[in-house]
Amino acid sequence: MAKLTTQDLEVIKSAQKARLAFRERTYLLICGGTGCHATGSIRVKDALLAAIEDKGLGDTVQVIETGCNGFCAMGPLLVVHPGDIFYQKLTVEDMPELVESHLINGKPVERLLYKDPVSKARIAAQTKIPFFAHQMPRALRNKGLINPESIDEYIGRDGYIGAAKALFDMTPQQIIEEMKISGMRGRGGAGFPTGVKWDFASKSAGAVKYVLCNADEGDPGAFMDRSILEADPHAVLEGMIIAAKAIDAHKGYIYARTEYPLAIKRLGIAIDQAKGYGLLGDNILGSALSFDIEIYQGAGAFVCGEETALMRSIEGKRGMPRPRPPFPAHKGLWEKPTILNNVETLANVPQIMVKGGAWYAGVGTQTSKGTKVFALSGDVNNIGLVEVPMGTPLRTIIYDIGGGIPNKRKFKAVQLGGPSGGCIPESHLDTPVDYEAIAKVGAIMGSGGAIVMDEKTCMVDMARFFMEFIQDESCGKCTPCREGTRRQLQILEKICEGRGEPDDIDILVELSQTIRETALCGLGQTGPNPVLSALRYFRDEFEAHIHEKRCPAKRCVALLRFEVEPDACTRCGMCFRACPADAIVWEKKEVARIDKEKCIKCLTCYDKCRFDAIF
Amino acid sequence: MPTLKIDNREINVPAGTKVIEAAERLGIMIPRFCFHPALGSVGACRVCAVAFTEGPVKGIQMSCMIDAQDGMVVSTTDAEAVDFRRHVIEFLMLNHPHDCPVCDEGGHCLLQDLTVAGGHGLRRYRGLKRTHINQDLGPLVQHEMNRCIQCYRCSRYYQEFTGYRDLGVMGIGSRVYFGRSAPGMLESPFAGNLIDICPTGVYTDKPSRYIGRRWDYQRQPSLCIHCSLGCNLTASARYRQVVRHEARPNLEVNGHFICDRGRYGYAYASIADRPRQAMAAGTPGPIVDILAGAREAIQQTVEKHGPGSVAVVVSPRSSLETLAVVKEACGQHGWTGPAAAHTNRQALNRNTAVSCLRPELAVSLAADTEAHDVLVIGADPLNEAPMLALSLRQVQRRGGHVIVIDPRGVQLPFDFDHWAVHPSAMGAILQALIQEIGGHRATAPDTPATFDITKLARRLNASPRPVVVCGTDILTPHEIALAGDLARALRRTHKVAGLFYTLAGANAFAAALLHDQPVSTEAVLDRIEDGGVRLLVAVEQDLWREFPDRKRLQAALKRLDHLVVLDYVDSPLNREAGHFIPTQPLYESGGHWINQEGRLQAASPVMAGGEPIEITGGSDHPPRVFDRRIPGDEPLAAWRAVAALAGEDEADPAPQLKTALADFHPAVNLSTPEATGQRIDLEAIAHDLVESGPAPEPAEDDAPADAVVLLLVDWTFGTEPLSAMAPALTRMEAAPVARLHPDEIARLGLAEGRPVTVSLNGNRLTVPVQADPRMAAGVMAVPRHHLLEWQVFGETRVIVKRSQLKAESE
Repeated sequence: MAKLTTQDLEVIKSAQKARLAFRERTYLLICGGTGCHATGSIRVKDALLAAIEDKGLGDTVQVIETGCNGFCAMGPLLVVHPGDIFYQKLTVEDMPELVESHLINGKPVERLLYKDPVSKARIAAQTKIPFFAHQMPRALRNKGLINPESIDEYIGRDGYIGAAKALFDMTPQQIIEEMKISGMRGRGGAGFPTGVKWDFASKSAGAVKYVLCNADEGDPGAFMDRSILEADPHAVLEGMIIAAKAIDAHKGYIYARTEYPLAIKRLGIAIDQAKGYGLLGDNILGSALSFDIEIYQGAGAFVCGEETALMRSIEGKRGMPRPRPPFPAHKGLWEKPTILNNVETLANVPQIMVKGGAWYAGVGTQTSKGTKVFALSGDVNNIGLVEVPMGTPLRTIIYDIGGGIPNKRKFKAVQLGGPSGGCIPESHLDTPVDYEAIAKVGAIMGSGGAIVMDEKTCMVDMARFFMEFIQDESCGKCTPCREGTRRQLQILEKICEGRGEPDDIDILVELSQTIRETALCGLGQTGPNPVLSALRYFRDEFEAHIHEKRCPAKRCVALLRFEVEPDACTRCGMCFRACPADAIVWEKKEVARIDKEKCIKCLTCYDKCRFDAIF
Repeated sequence: MPTLKIDNREINVPAGTKVIEAAERLGIMIPRFCFHPALGSVGACRVCAVAFTEGPVKGIQMSCMIDAQDGMVVSTTDAEAVDFRRHVIEFLMLNHPHDCPVCDEGGHCLLQDLTVAGGHGLRRYRGLKRTHINQDLGPLVQHEMNRCIQCYRCSRYYQEFTGYRDLGVMGIGSRVYFGRSAPGMLESPFAGNLIDICPTGVYTDKPSRYIGRRWDYQRQPSLCIHCSLGCNLTASARYRQVVRHEARPNLEVNGHFICDRGRYGYAYASIADRPRQAMAAGTPGPIVDILAGAREAIQQTVEKHGPGSVAVVVSPRSSLETLAVVKEACGQHGWTGPAAAHTNRQALNRNTAVSCLRPELAVSLAADTEAHDVLVIGADPLNEAPMLALSLRQVQRRGGHVIVIDPRGVQLPFDFDHWAVHPSAMGAILQALIQEIGGHRATAPDTPATFDITKLARRLNASPRPVVVCGTDILTPHEIALAGDLARALRRTHKVAGLFYTLAGANAFAAALLHDQPVSTEAVLDRIEDGGVRLLVAVEQDLWREFPDRKRLQAALKRLDHLVVLDYVDSPLNREAGHFIPTQPLYESGGHWINQEGRLQAASPVMAGGEPIEITGGSDHPPRVFDRRIPGDEPLAAWRAVAALAGEDEADPAPQLKTALADFHPAVNLSTPEATGQRIDLEAIAHDLVESGPAPEPAEDDAPADAVVLLLVDWTFGTEPLSAMAPALTRMEAAPVARLHPDEIARLGLAEGRPVTVSLNGNRLTVPVQADPRMAAGVMAVPRHHLLEWQVFGETRVIVKRSQLKAESE
C-alpha cells in the first residue's frame, strides 16, 4: 500500500462515505463480536451466505461481519439495510426463511424481530428498540456499522481525520487544551482528567516517551474495552497517535490480555493497515511525527491493569505495582515519561479533535462530561453494551435500556466498578452517572461494569464473591492486600457457612479501614469497597446470617434448612418428582414436606422449585 | 543537603537519602522488612510507616519511599502511624508458624523484634494458616517457607542483585512462594547471603543448623582468607568449634555480602584431622621439647653450613604478625628467604602488581561498583575472587559496562563483552590499547577483527570513571605492569581512573612487602638442589598441596638435612618433618591482613582453641572426661612459634612481635588503631619494579602452531586448599575437567567427555575433556582441584605440544 497524505485521506473518506451510504440500502450486518461468536454467529453467517447463494443473490447483497453490536443478550444478531431491521437470536435454520421472506419478498420475518418484554409488540427498526433508543454512541459510534477489519470504512466514517488535524493544524499544547476543554476524564475508572495527564507527560523532560493503551480489562462482568477493540480498533490507534503528538512520543504499546484473541487479531490487522497507509511509522502522513504501536499480550492477571504493574509487565518483569510517586508521567515504562489511557478514553479522542472539546463537553454533568459506556449484565433483561450521556440516571440504564429485571423479580442492587466498586440499592437508583455522585453513594464509576442483582442475590455472598476475586488476584506484594483480603474472605466465608460470630462485622470494618489506608496500590486500597458498601446498605443481611443463621435471599446453601414455606408452595409437586432420595412427602394439591431423616441435602429440590418455596 | 526533623531531633543528610535512613543516622530504627540498604526501597511490606506532620509531604507515608527534604517534620511515634504498623505486623503474623523454639533464626530474628516492638501481642485470628512445601536447596541453605512474610528481599537479592535466576517468587496473592521451580542446589555462589538477608527464618544456615542460638556463640569480627579481597565477616564458635560465618557489612570492601566460599570455608579449623600435636619425626612430644629440638637443629645447621643454609618459606595467607616475625628472623639471622610464592613468575607477578598500585589509582572493591566501565584483564572474577563478580554486576546494573580480556571461558552473572584472546596476545593488546588511549594510532595486534581496540580505547577514554581490573594468576609480570600503565594512561585523561589487582593469597599484599626482589619456593628448591640450603622451615605453607611440582619437591626435601613444618592443616609433610609444630588458624590467633588493594584489616581471635567437644566427647554432651587442660590446646600462633625458633631463649615474644611489626615495612603503620581498616601508605612502596615499555622478546609463550597453553587455574569451589576441606562445599564442587574450545578439541584429535593425558618432562596429568565455546583457541584450562594431582609441571602456565597430548579411550 502506498503511504497516504492528508489529501489521500479526504479522497478515501469521500469515496467510503458514498459506499457506506450505499450500504444502507443493500447490506446485511451480522454481528461478529465475541458474544455473538459464542452463540453461533459464524455458523449463522455461513448459513446466510449459503442461502443467499442458493437464491442467486450473491451479486446484489453483501454480508458484512461487524464488531460488537452491543445487544449481546439477543445474539446472534443481524441488521438488514434498508430499513435498519434488527433480527435477534438467529439460528442456522432461520436463514433460508429470512432470505426468502425478507430479501426476496421484502417482508421481514416477524418471529425473529425484537419483542418488547412489556408490550409484547415486535419492533423491527433497530433505532426504535428501547435498548438503542436511549443510547448516545460516541466511543461506540462505529459499532455494528463498519467492518472493523477495513481501514477504508473507518476512514469513511471520519477516521484519521482527527489525527490529521492534530498533526497538521494543532500544536501539542492545543491538543492538550482541547482535551482539557472536553472535560474528558479517564474512563478506566479513576476519572483523572486526561488533558491534565497529557500535560504532565508533555512537560516531562526526555527524548523517549511512551503512549500506552490499557486494554487489560479484568473486572468480572466488564467487556466495554473488548467490544470497542473488536468493533472499532482504528479509533484506539488514532487516539494513540494524537496522544503521541501531544506528548512527543514515538512508541506506543497496547497492553491487551491474551484472553481477548479476537480483539488482538483485529488490532493486529488494524496496525498493519495503518502502517501500510503510513498512518503509523515514520513521518505519519508526511508530518514530523514518527510513531509506532506494538501489542503486548498480558497473561491475564487482574493487577496488570494497574498502571505501574502494567508497565512492569511490559518490561518483562513480574506484574507488581510500585508506589507512586514517581508518577508514570515522569517515570513510567523503563523509567521514561509515559501516559497510560484506557481503551474507551482513547476511542473518544479522535472525535474530540474533529468536533472540538466544547462539542464533547456539550453533554454531561458539571464535573463529568460526555458519555460513558457500560457493560450491563447480571439479572437484567437486556444484557449488553450501552453508551449513555453522563448524567443519565442509573434507573434509565437498568429499566429503559436494560429492560428491567427478568422473571418478575425485584431489583436489589447494581454493582458498579467491579471488585473495586460498590453496590447501589434501589433507594439510590436515581443517582446520575457522574463520578462524584456515584462515589457519594459508596460505589465508583469504574471502567463501566454494571452488574444488576435481583432479590435472589445474597449480598453477603456477593461480597464474598468479590473478595474471593480480589484476594485471588492480589499480586502479593504489599502486606495489607495480600494478608488482609484473605482474612476478609475467610470471615465472609465463615458467615456464609453459618459460622459467623457477633464481632465479625466489626472485624470486617476494621480490616477494611486498615487495608484502605495501608495498601500500596489502587487494587488493594479499593479492595474492601464491596464489603463496605454491602455493609452500608445491607447490614441486616449480614446480621441475619450471623445472629439468626439465616440467609434472607436463600442463597447460602449452608444455611438452608430444607423446609418448605407453605405460603410460597404452589403444590406443583416438582420437588417431589425431582428428589432422588424420596425425601419429599407430597400429595396432589398438598403442600410438600421434606423428610429430614431421608434428605441428603443434594439441593435438587431447591434448584427445581421455581417459587423459592424451599428455604 | 536537606535538613529535617525526626522525633524532634534535627538532622542534615545528603540529598537522596530516604527518611528511614535519615532516622537511622539519628539512631532511630524505623521498623522495616522489605527495605535493605543494599537492595533499596520497594514499599512492599508497609511496616515503615511514619507520620509527616509538616513540610512538603503530609500524612502517613512509608519512610523508605520518601526522600528526605528540607522542612520535613517526621514523627515515628505518632499514634496513627503506630497503629498502622501494628496492623501490618498483625497481618504478617497471621500465617507465621510461631515455631521460634525450633527455628535457627530465633534470637536474632527481625520479625521477632518487630512483632514485639510493633505492639502486636494478642492473636485475634483463629483460622487456618496457609502452609507451603519446603525445598531442598542444596547443602548450604535450609528452606522453611511457612515462616515467610513475603518481604521479597530474597528474590530481589538473588535475581536483581546477584543476577541468578533459579530462585525467585512464584504465584500471586496469598499463594506467593519463594523458592526454585523445582528443588535443587542453588546455582549462585552467593546464595548464603539469603540467610543474612531474610528477616526471619525462611533461609537459615544449613551446616550450623540446630547447633546453637546466636547468644550461645562466641562471636567476633573476622576476615575471610579464602582469596585476596579480604571480605569482612563475623565468625561464630561454639564448644571449641567454628560453626558459622556471617557477612559483616563493610561499605568500603564487601558491602553487605560475602561469597559462599568465604561463608562456608571455615571447617578446616575444626576438622578431626587438624594436627594439634607437636611431633619429632612423626612421634608426638611436648611442644616445648619439639620447639627446643627444632631450634637446636637450626643452630647446628647454621654452625655447620652457615646461616644461609637455613631457608624459610611462608604462606601468603599467613597473618601480618607471622610474616613480620618471619621477615625479622630471616633478616636477623641471615637465613635464606622468606619465600612467600611458589614460582618465580608468581612471585614477580605479585610484587609487580603491588609496585604498580599507586595511591591515586587504587580503588576498593566497593568503589568498583561505582565505575562506569571496567576492563578486566587476565582475571576470572567468579572463580578467582567471587565477590569481585558481584561487584562488577553492580557496575552493569547501574548502567556501566564490563569488558573481560581473558583466554578462559569467563562467566559472569550479567551481560558483558568477552575477548577470549590467547595468553600470548594479551601484552600486545594492552600495548595497543595504551597507545590508542594516548591518542596514537596503534598497529593492530594479531587478534580477530571483532576485538576492536580503537573502539574500546575510545570507550574507555569517554568513560567518566573507568577501572582496570587485572589478575595475577595466568599473566606475566610484563602484562601486569602494562595494566598499571593502562590505568595511568587513563588517569591522564580522567580525574578518576581506577586500578584493581587480584592477588594469590589473603595476605599476598603483605607478602609482597617482604622483599623488593621477591624470593620464590622455586628458588629455594634450586638452592636445596645445589646443596646451599640444608634446613627448610615451612611456615603454614602446605608445599605438598600447593607447590606445582610435587616430584621435584619430594626429591628436594630428601636432600635436606632437616625439615621443620609449622602448620594447622594436615599434610604428609607434617609426618616427614624432623620437627612439626602445630599452629593456630586465625580464629584462635587473630591477626592483621592486607587485602589486594592495600587495606589493612584485623581479625579478632574468636575462641581459645582446643579440640572441639564434638570430637573429644564423641558427639556426646556434656563431655564425660575432665582434665586440667583443654585437649588439643597445644597449637601456637605461628608468629609465636617462629619467634621461639628464632629467639635465644624462651622469653616473652610479645616485644619481639612489636619490633617485627614496626620494622616490617614503612608503608605499614600499626602504631595507631585508626590505621586498621584503612589503606596502607602505598606511596611508601617502591614503584616500577618491572619496566613496562615494549614487551620482552616472547620466548616460551611464543606458542608453536601445534601447541596449546595449559593454564592451571582457580575454580570457585574445589581449588582453594582451605575451603576445599569443608564438607558442605565439596558438594558444590564440579568434577575437575580440562576445558578447551570445541574447535581445539577437534584440532587436537581429542573427544569431549573422554580423558586426555598431558605428558611433559616425564610427568603426566590425566583429566576428562570438556568443550567450552567461550574459551580462546590454543588454550587448555585445568583447575588446581583437590581431587586432581595437578602438581606435576612445576608451573601453572606451561606450553604443551600436540605430541604431548594423548586422547585416552576411557
